[in-house]
Amino acid sequence: MKKTIENHDDESRLNLPEKLREDIKGLYQSSSTIPPEIDRAILDRAHQHFSRTKQRRIRWIAPWKIAAAAAVIIFAFSLSLNKLSGPAPEQAYQAVVQATDIDHNGRVDILDAFTLARQIERANPIKSEWDMNGDGQVDQSDVDTVALAAVRLDKGVL
Amino acid sequence: MKKIMTIILTSVSVMVPVLARQSAPGEPSDESAVRFSPLHIYIDSGNQSLAAYQFELKATAGQIKVVGVEGGEHQAFKEAPYYDPAALANDRIIIAAFNTGRELPKAKTRIATIHLQITGDVEPEYELKLVVAADENGKEIPAEISCEKGDQK
Repeated sequence: MKKTIENHDDESRLNLPEKLREDIKGLYQSSSTIPPEIDRAILDRAHQHFSRTKQRRIRWIAPWKIAAAAAVIIFAFSLSLNKLSGPAPEQAYQAVVQATDIDHNGRVDILDAFTLARQIERANPIKSEWDMNGDGQVDQSDVDTVALAAVRLDKGVL
Repeated sequence: MKKIMTIILTSVSVMVPVLARQSAPGEPSDESAVRFSPLHIYIDSGNQSLAAYQFELKATAGQIKVVGVEGGEHQAFKEAPYYDPAALANDRIIIAAFNTGRELPKAKTRIATIHLQITGDVEPEYELKLVVAADENGKEIPAEISCEKGDQK
């Protein structure tokens, strides 16, 4: 900037002809002025643009709020639901009891496995319903299935 | 808007540790002394042969975890008995075994040893329930179950 001023000073010191000086001045002077209507129009457009951006931001934040609240509620419910075991495991357990109650006394215990093991060892008639794992034969693995059903922890508390 | 976000984030950060602690009730709340101890289980079937048994053990005092199960002293029950693997790291277990052979124990015999991890200074107490004991014919027989604490490590 300083340099420019210095240059201008140099110019004044040069004693240039009046006509040339006027022409040079004319080159650097800003000839056009911005009319107030254009100024106002630009301001209006700017206002419109920024107000639209603000609205859009509000629209984005609102669903985020809902999603966060829903996540908190779902998380809390899922933890409490884990503690309340529904009827599905009970039904599954009843199915296991029916299948593994070999001596049909209404409960599954080690005597069911013992009975099945003795049937297999003595080559007594084997019932197809004793095929616990569905592999087409009744053997030690079926005895193990019955024994493990007898010691399952979810059978109830002492 | 910032207020709502702050409330949500605060509630999440408060709820998560509280609920996580509730969901793991078996965990020790503080760093207490941990020791290991075996618990020997005996069944006395009198003068009758013992071919099958099933019992349930539960801690009624103290903080315990089952860490392992071992078979008994008699050859008929030497192998590890049946138990639910979910019982490991639990304070309750159901144990059962049978033998279809002829060589069976009579009178008082150690049928299993349960290895326990004990946390804290409270001496654990146990509740033992004999579900069933049977002879070589699979017939239920009267029997008594008892336990004996082994040496702690």
